[in-house]
Amino acid sequence: MYQYNTDDTAFLVERVDQFEKQLDRHLVGDLDAAKFRSLRLRNGLYMELHAHMLRVAIPYGILNTEQLRALADVADKYDRGFGHFTTRQNIQYNWIELPQIANLLRDLSSVGLHAIQTSGKAMRNITADPFSGLTEDEVEDARPYCELIRRWFNIHPEFSWLPSKFKMAINGAKLDETALQIHDLGLKIVRNDAGELGFASYVGGGLGAAPMVGPEIHPFVPVEDIISYLESVLRIYNLKGRRDNLKRLRIKFLVREHGAAEFAKMVDEDWQHGKDDPALKLNMEELTKLKQDFTLPIESLDLVDFKDTLDINYSIWKTNNVRTHKVAGYSVVNISLTQLGTAPGDATSEQMRMIADLADKYSNSELRTTKRQNLVFPYVRQDQVYALWQELEKSDLASPHNGTLAHVVACPGADYCDLAKAVSIPIAQQVQQRFDDMDKLYDIGPININISGCENSCAHHHISDIGLLGLKKNEQEFYQITLAGETLQETVIGRKLGRSIAGAEVVDAIEDIVNIYLDNREEGENFVDVFKRIGIASFKEKVYG
Amino acid sequence: MVEDSEIISVVNEQGESIELLSVDEWIADIDSNVESGKGVVVTPADDVELLQESLHKIPLIALDFVSFDDGRGYSQATLIRKRWGYSGEIRGINAHLDQLQFMLRSGVNTYDLQEQYQGSNERDYTHGFSICYQVAANNDGMKQKF
Repeated sequence: MYQYNTDDTAFLVERVDQFEKQLDRHLVGDLDAAKFRSLRLRNGLYMELHAHMLRVAIPYGILNTEQLRALADVADKYDRGFGHFTTRQNIQYNWIELPQIANLLRDLSSVGLHAIQTSGKAMRNITADPFSGLTEDEVEDARPYCELIRRWFNIHPEFSWLPSKFKMAINGAKLDETALQIHDLGLKIVRNDAGELGFASYVGGGLGAAPMVGPEIHPFVPVEDIISYLESVLRIYNLKGRRDNLKRLRIKFLVREHGAAEFAKMVDEDWQHGKDDPALKLNMEELTKLKQDFTLPIESLDLVDFKDTLDINYSIWKTNNVRTHKVAGYSVVNISLTQLGTAPGDATSEQMRMIADLADKYSNSELRTTKRQNLVFPYVRQDQVYALWQELEKSDLASPHNGTLAHVVACPGADYCDLAKAVSIPIAQQVQQRFDDMDKLYDIGPININISGCENSCAHHHISDIGLLGLKKNEQEFYQITLAGETLQETVIGRKLGRSIAGAEVVDAIEDIVNIYLDNREEGENFVDVFKRIGIASFKEKVYG
Repeated sequence: MVEDSEIISVVNEQGESIELLSVDEWIADIDSNVESGKGVVVTPADDVELLQESLHKIPLIALDFVSFDDGRGYSQATLIRKRWGYSGEIRGINAHLDQLQFMLRSGVNTYDLQEQYQGSNERDYTHGFSICYQVAANNDGMKQKF
């Protein structure tokens, strides 16, 4: 992976120094709340219900073990001993004291971590496929491009005060693990007829109150022109995006207002002025260097005689947590942070250190974060998977629930977030309690449940098999259910089931939905297949009938 | 503060007072405005493309950064300075301390800070970063990494 050099570290320190001065000015009354808000969000700092929340970037979801240990140290030193891995592959701390912020960020800068642009109206962290570089049939490893593009938009002088936040995803694989069409801008790495690499560009996707699947606005932007193209998209957004209506700030509204074709034309017109500017060509030399930085640290192994251990619990875990690797003799291993009875995505500092030790031992000291709030070990020898499982098992980290319905994705919800309308984590726990029989869970198979506490949709409920959106009606918590959203093969926003359901009854409704699926399932059909075949009516009838 | 149709003036780098016209006023009678040495004040909502043709006749362009979160001025500055090669003075008016380096890198070369920032250490914010990761209208003195 790419390691920060001294320039990068110096830059991070300059950022912290400046933020510390801004914080001091705010505390003595020289910087008003509104401006400080705008500045602190760009440094990942939210002022929440009980304390302050800090979001730390995990660029395109890749961490080394030194960084994970630093995150664990932060959890102990500045928080209450845990962190929350998010659906955008970052980590959040919920109990940060304001005067400690600068010291915390300095600690992180020494391992190349930061909170720059993890919030606020600027380009956010880039979402990437956690299996980048690991799968057999991928078009291209997206990681070097993620790094080059991330870098370019880091404290960009022209695009740091956008109408709203701007989220990007880059996918180089056939299946879309990034959900790129629900991002403000999604790039899919493709090859043209001549075999050259480029990016298909999708703009204006998003979830929230007005979910939208981002339309394609360019089928093929050559690799070397991607910077100038992205600048044009951002310039059109910066100049023409709505700033007057708080509910219409995201780029999706600009795209919707003009239509995808007209928007594409506006971008293209601007691009004509930039695409031939040599200074805006992607630095191919740097790309080559980055490709070397991201070379896989493993070589194929001859394990033909290897026989894996037979153990029923191990096999169950393996089915849902171990994937094939493009390098012979290796596996990709998922570590589910979602244990029964704990908040999804939460990890204690002790767990983080334990995982770091295991990654040193079994995964070349590298790990990935995922939008399902898991950690991934990218380089595990097949003949060591069993030993890894045993160690995970000892530490309660070998949850066999990953990939089953009990692995619920949830935002922090009203327990922690002052934007939330309803709780998320307690509902996730009730689902896990209701479906606590492993045999039943395996029979049901890989149904995704995602719970967002408000329309900001941090838990991506629109693109889940069963999505729950928290609402408040007459001071009571209700949940709007959506069904059969997906992104892996194609991007589809989940359909609304009907009127929202009271918190006390929502787990019953989920059980009804699961039962309709089971009653109608034919050989090999997943939830979306059944939904497409039988339609929404049967589900409605069962839940509301 | 700049308000609609209010005529304001600024003192340029040479110490001369330059009266500023709105974009509409400027393009309504470019020749006589050039003759009388008028400058232009651009608000965030203005379309700077309207100035492109007569750009090099304008002695001074003031961009209004009054609203902290409105970032259109940075793109306006980039277009005027970097894309169209304007070599005259671009003044950032109603400027905010925390945004000085963003303005300067986008092509603004002089600025008038809002009153609230009087007595602040401007250098912390004009030179807060010594390293940059992208091409811009002005990266003078910065270490470039891209």
